[in-house]
Amino acid sequence: MSTVTLPVVEPGAPDLALTQRPPSLDDESRAWLDDLRTEGRTKDEAIARLHALLLRAARFEIARRRVTMPHLRGDELDDLAAEAADDAVVSVLRRLDDFRGLSRFSTWAYKFALLEAAVKLRKRAWQSREIPLEDETWNRLASARPGPDDQAETGVLLDAVREGIANGLTPHQRRVLLALAVDGVPIDVLADRLGSTRGALYKTLHDARRKLRAHLAERGVALGQWLEES
Amino acid sequence: MERREPREMLRGLLGPAAPEVGCDTCFAELDRFVELELAGHDADVALPGLRAHLDGCPACREEHESLLALAAERR
Repeated sequence: MSTVTLPVVEPGAPDLALTQRPPSLDDESRAWLDDLRTEGRTKDEAIARLHALLLRAARFEIARRRVTMPHLRGDELDDLAAEAADDAVVSVLRRLDDFRGLSRFSTWAYKFALLEAAVKLRKRAWQSREIPLEDETWNRLASARPGPDDQAETGVLLDAVREGIANGLTPHQRRVLLALAVDGVPIDVLADRLGSTRGALYKTLHDARRKLRAHLAERGVALGQWLEES
Repeated sequence: MERREPREMLRGLLGPAAPEVGCDTCFAELDRFVELELAGHDADVALPGLRAHLDGCPACREEHESLLALAAERR
């Protein structure tokens, strides 16, 4: 197993060109690539098979998440799966040259369908909901108190974090951090409302978190072990 | 609006301590990461920073869980 160098601590940065030599493809992945890169009937049939594969993946994702969407009817979920599969086929065909053979082709393709289905579900769940106003969110954070099972340090930490958010972040960082971390707004939904992208918002979130951690370190506030464990 | 416990809120506010990749890199590497996991290899050594990102990004974490489950089912 080889190790690859990833661009760490740079959320939102362009992917680095990975310097690995492409491995030899498994037979199934090679057949997918050959058929999708040819022309005529063979390609049409391969695209139809790809659509069927991605439709199964989209339905798999929707089945996993449907408990969070009890108000959606079965036919609405079917439509959502079909839309996700359609969009995923377009993404796979557009990015075929990105497939490096580091996994099976089917696993690589699945992720496009899962992403499309997950994003559509999150947006559907929030389509009639407003992002809470910052004051409202701030009040929720301000009223957070340690529970009976929390140690006293949790209260100190909460106070220091509130101070760091109020005084150490830019307005945009504060808005993004509070919406994502306190209100639990899905990142795709927030990106959509702010005219941004998931990658750009995560970079903002990452920067805000670094600033908060630096703020706590400057004040000598200890982070509980529970916080640093995955 | 769901109510979050203080600890959960603090985890979300402070994020992972370890260096992490961003969402775009996570998506680009997720299929390989999952197959390494399913093969019993140390995916965290092969792709450093990805696990930390999954800890800090709920959306990518959900997609990782789904891809892992789907790929495992279809092996």
